Amino acid sequence: MFQFILKRLLLAIPTLLGVTILTFILLHLAPGNLAQTLAGENATPAQVARITHELGLDRPVYEQYGIWLSKLAHGDLGFSYRRQASVLSLIGERIGRTLLLMGSALALSIVIAVPLGVYQAFRRNTLFDRAASALVFIAWSMPTFWFGTILIALFAVQLRWSPVGGLQTIDTASFDWPSRLAHLILPAATLALVSLAGWSRYIRGSMVEQLQEDYARTARAKGLPATAVLFRHTLRNALIPFITLLGGTIPALFGGAVITEQIFAYPGMGQLFWQSATDRDYFTLLGMTVITALLVILGNLLADVLYGVVDPRVRYD
Amino acid sequence: MIDATLTLPVDEGFPRRRRVHVDPIAAAGMVWIALALLACWLAPFFLHIDAYATDVAHAYAQPNGTHWLGTDGLGRDELARLLIGGRITLSVGIVAALVAMFIGTLYGALSGYYGGWFDSMLMRVVDVFLSVPTIFLLLFLAALFNGSELTLMLVIGFTAWLGPSRLVRGEVLTLKERLYVEAARSSGAGDWRIIFRHVVPNAMGTIITTTTFMVASAMLAETALSYLGIGIRLPVPSWGNLLSSAQSDLFARAYWLILPPGLAILITVCAFNFVGDWLREKQT
Repeated sequence: MFQFILKRLLLAIPTLLGVTILTFILLHLAPGNLAQTLAGENATPAQVARITHELGLDRPVYEQYGIWLSKLAHGDLGFSYRRQASVLSLIGERIGRTLLLMGSALALSIVIAVPLGVYQAFRRNTLFDRAASALVFIAWSMPTFWFGTILIALFAVQLRWSPVGGLQTIDTASFDWPSRLAHLILPAATLALVSLAGWSRYIRGSMVEQLQEDYARTARAKGLPATAVLFRHTLRNALIPFITLLGGTIPALFGGAVITEQIFAYPGMGQLFWQSATDRDYFTLLGMTVITALLVILGNLLADVLYGVVDPRVRYD
Repeated sequence: MIDATLTLPVDEGFPRRRRVHVDPIAAAGMVWIALALLACWLAPFFLHIDAYATDVAHAYAQPNGTHWLGTDGLGRDELARLLIGGRITLSVGIVAALVAMFIGTLYGALSGYYGGWFDSMLMRVVDVFLSVPTIFLLLFLAALFNGSELTLMLVIGFTAWLGPSRLVRGEVLTLKERLYVEAARSSGAGDWRIIFRHVVPNAMGTIITTTTFMVASAMLAETALSYLGIGIRLPVPSWGNLLSSAQSDLFARAYWLILPPGLAILITVCAFNFVGDWLREKQT
């Protein structure tokens, strides 16, 4: 097990390097003078020259990449001239919020998708199953931002049950848990929509498959109640491949966070990414892509390890 | 002619015409897609209103006899914009899906067919792309090459080929072991001929199914990019930017603008997903 984790971590290094190269290439496709873009419109020529020199922008691209990479190895993600802060501190300030948002969305999505899929499989081909499938398809086909706006219009504007957006109520200066959670509900519900449909369909499909297996019929035949078979026998087996699916959804959740945070003016990583993409904040974009890729790789690794914990047939050789 | 399929037992090994059973929901999806395509492209023949003509005197008109779906903040006819916007969103969806499938099929087929270190190298590249959220790549590319429909199609297509390439690779890995591939090779066919004449055509089922889902997700990508302000630029209408501008029109109490583009996207994306789901079930 330990060796497996170590091997996977080592394999993650070339992937991460690939991500940095990919991002570097993409950024260098951008037209215009990079130093000028970084310094902002009002920068003096002297400032632009200084930035050019500091970042080695007057040197070949591969040397720039080398400089950036050696800094990265020392934990330095660079400096955002536009935001006058180090990229690491910009990300550090926001990453917790985005992870909290993603975690709540994930939890909400599982809490809805798993029971729904199980019940649909148990009552398959009934009216309920069909109606639920249709709803799931609609959820799958809905633009995220439209769903978010409907939630705002309904729960925040009409019913006034929840705040419209933001991180917490402004007049509370200090960290305020109840207010933060209240501001989290609608964004989490919106983000949950990204994964909800796929997951409930997946659970339904694999539960239908498991319920037709011999062991499920045997368990029923020896007199176990249906719920015991469902939850103690078939659900366990249906959930095993689901873990891998969870790991694979992390990039989509990050992607969904970009839109969700935009709708609810939630100051997290997604919002920062969108802002720095629009004002071409070079190093912030690079740093965020690397950190996100790292989290995605770690998430997939965690899913693989959990897979082995849940399924004793898996061996790590 | 007598319909023999109903009376005779199934005769193995003899190809005969089979009735294709179409799931009613999938059939409804196909009909909707056909109607949407016809309505959008034939719009100039039955609707004689210019989608770009502004008429500030009749801004924010509610649905009425001349403007069936009302007008927007500049007095432009919403129905005309919806139909012209549909052309753009549908063609972005379809072309982006074709671009993604073209790259994905080529990449996956080569990777699966040649195998070995070549395959593992190509798949590592896919891993790299997959560890970056798609919307990050979309934001990068759309911010770099801002503007036209064509670039949007290419940008969405270029970010969507990863999943298809893995699927095609998986298919090719099993297909390349088949006897007919062996037969083709022993009769002197080259690699390219085997890949594109024997292997890929047999993976067509997977490819077509995936394309259908890709159209749906590419249309959603168009709406998401329009919402973020880097999709199709106004005044050119698209379902995505009609929907996102309708949200700000809500402040002017123009509630009638929000439903048409929203429903158009929802139903059309649903239709493609229904058809895709039916194709997938039919395959297994």
